[in-house]
Parts: sequence; C-alpha cells; structure tokens
Amino acid sequence: MNDFERPAIRMEGLTAGTGDFRLGPLDVSIPRGTVTAVVGSNGSGKSTLFRALLGLEPLTGGALQVLDSAVGPSGDERYKARIGFVAENPHAYENSVTVREKAEFASMWYPGWSWERYRRLMERFDIRDQVKLSKLSKGLRRKAELAVSMVHDPELLILDEPTSGLDPVIWKVWLEEMQAYMDSGDRTVLIATHVTEEVKRLADYVLILHRGKCLGFYEKDRLFEEWRTVLAEPVDGRPDTGTLRRADGCSRIEELENGLYRIDWSGSGAAEQEAAMRACGLRPLDSRRLELEEILSRFIQEEKV
Amino acid sequence: MLYPKGGDSVQLPIKVDEQRPEPMYHQIESQLRGLILGGQLAEGTPLPSIRELAMSLKCSSITIRRVYQDLESEGYIRTRQGSGTFVARTGGDDRRQHRLRRAAEELERAVDAAFQLGCSEEEIEELFRKAVRNRVPEPKGGIQDE
Repeated sequence: MNDFERPAIRMEGLTAGTGDFRLGPLDVSIPRGTVTAVVGSNGSGKSTLFRALLGLEPLTGGALQVLDSAVGPSGDERYKARIGFVAENPHAYENSVTVREKAEFASMWYPGWSWERYRRLMERFDIRDQVKLSKLSKGLRRKAELAVSMVHDPELLILDEPTSGLDPVIWKVWLEEMQAYMDSGDRTVLIATHVTEEVKRLADYVLILHRGKCLGFYEKDRLFEEWRTVLAEPVDGRPDTGTLRRADGCSRIEELENGLYRIDWSGSGAAEQEAAMRACGLRPLDSRRLELEEILSRFIQEEKV
Repeated sequence: MLYPKGGDSVQLPIKVDEQRPEPMYHQIESQLRGLILGGQLAEGTPLPSIRELAMSLKCSSITIRRVYQDLESEGYIRTRQGSGTFVARTGGDDRRQHRLRRAAEELERAVDAAFQLGCSEEEIEELFRKAVRNRVPEPKGGIQDE
C-alpha cells in the first residue's frame, strides 16, 4: 500500500462530546495528500472534531486513527509532533511571549523544526518576531500563528478558521505557501472555513457537518457538478409542482415574484430533469450551478425533513 | 527541505465554464490537449504542478491528476520524478488529425444551424462554396504556385 492509499485520518463510528452537544457517529477516511474543507454553521462540531483529532476531547465511542496512530487514552502521543494546528481563538497563555519565544518553545517540541524555514516564513509573511503576541492586532497574530504552524513541515495541518482578520495581501501569500506545502504530494490539510473562495481554491474534499452529524463527505468538483438550479417559466396555466416535487433529484421548487419558477436539482440526469419539468408544464430558461452556501442550505433542509 | 518554489512553469490559457454541463475534468482535458496539438505549448514546456493548476482553476487536485494521467497515457505529456510534468513530442500526423477534427466539429455545427433554418442540402453546399470563395483572397494573374 502506498502513502496515497493509506488514509491520514480514519474515523470509524467515532463519537465524542457530552451533555448538550454530541459529535458523530462519523465514518470518514481522509486520504493523504489532500485538502479537506470542513464546512457547516456555527455549532456544527468542527472544533470538537479537531480537538478529538488532537487527543484533547475524550472519545465516547468508535475508533479514531490519525497518521497511523490510534487516538485514545492508551494511544501513543508522538503522532502529535507531526501535526501543525492553528486553533480558532488565540491562546491566552501565550499573550506574554513574543513570536520568537513561541517559536523557540515549538522548536524543542517538533523534531521537524527548521530555523531556515522559520526565517523564510517570517520574511514571506512580513513578521517582526520580537513583538509580544498580546501587542499584535488580530490579523497580525493570526499570520504569526499560521507561519509558525508550518515551520516543522507537519504531515497533517489542522486549521480552524485560519484566515479571519488577514489582509488580502497576506491571504494571497498564505495561499501560495499552502500550495508549496501541498506540492510535495503527501501532506494533508483539514481546514474549517466559512470562506467560499478558500474552499474553491484549496479543497479536494468537502466534509459537511451539521449539529454534530456528518451530512456528507464529497469530492469537491463532484459536489458542485451535482447541484444545479433551473429558472423556468410556466407554459400554460399553473404548473403541476406537486408531481415535479416527487421527481428524482428535485430538491426545492420556489415560485418567484415575476411568475417564474426556480427549481433546485441534484444528480446528473440533466435530460431527465428537463423532461420532468416539461411534463409538469414548465419550460426551462436558464440553469446555473449552486453556490456552496446554497448547497449547504439544501443539505440542512433535507436533514430536517 | 525548503518548499520548492513554483513559478517557472507557464500560465495556461485554460478557462473552466462553470455553467457548461460538461464535467470540469472534461473541459480542462480537452483544452489542454488542444493547446498541445495546436502547437501553443511546445515540446518540453513545463506544466504547472497538480496543486498549482488546481488552485488556479479552482478545482480539486483529484480532477487535475486525472487530466494529467489521461494525457500522459495518450502520450501528450510526460512526468519526470522530481522535476515535474512536461509537454511531450507530438507527431505532425496527430496535429493534422486534431486540426481536421476540430474544423469538422465547427463545420458540423454550422451545417446543423443551416438545417434548422430550413435550408436544403444544395443550398448549404452552395453557401459553403460561397463562404470559402469570399474568404480566400482572389489570386492576382492566375494561380500562384509556391
């Protein structure tokens, strides 16, 4: 088995969380060398999942393997040194240290640390490393954390809302660095993000979480190709939307103020979809792909039904 | 190891039209094949890394890997371990065939449109000859032979 066939992360019936919030059960294998965007609204369980991957959240069931290491009370913890992690919020205990001091601490912990790479990244991200983290603005602190998370060339990079507060110039630098990091072909990234552009540019897979449940794990291009919305006009009189609603792949029908109809479809049978609309008295005028936010709301809607 | 610096490969004039029904890999593959067969990408031209092209076209690296694998098995590109992917040599025959195939597609489209407008076979042939005559400059003083 080569590296690409051995998953970086394997979840089997994984559950975590207690009280009000339960995560899982999750059954997902994330292949090495890929970027997975974890998407979902606030409270979907992204941060709990990340903490579980880092062994910081007690598992309540199932099995979890990260970088070939079983995660759990009796597991070997050394796999953590091969992970880079940027948490959603900065750590308060780091407030009084400078970027340089944070780096010096990290260099002792990570065998893969390279001071040469550190200097290059400081330069690329335009960071002065003698400043205390608490003195940095949100965006400056963020980019310092992002830069430091890559210095030990981790096998797995876990990023929780990494780019909030970054200015567009640094965002572009970060994207270029992400590309260079992924170019070796065996590095794996998990990124929670609300930024559609980041999903489009970076992701190979999309993991959709909603209230702790997995609503799907898709190859990104397939997901976008799967969903379309069609604008259609009634041919004579009121269309038979009741019948159309039951057609295979019909996800949603909306009557617009101008008398036209908008029909959301999933699935690849474009010809069958058009035939179904015509049979119900609707003539398709235009069709386009759904945006990520629209696809997410379709998933959440269907989960409720 | 420092991360390799990209940037010496060419920017490919490929456009993914999200509104077209063809899957992305199909659009990218046929455009890249066309650039190679059309001679816009010469033999030996370095192609972007899989990740670089995926990011610039906003598709997944899985799609680009599939495109590169298909074109490699067709012999249009080759991958050298460690140094990247390059345009391979394409034979003159391949190019001629590609040119004729592409031209045939365009002409078929025009013929379809003419039939839809209710033209007869004879009318279309007459129009076709006229169109060719109109666009080929009239030779001055007889046929020029090169």
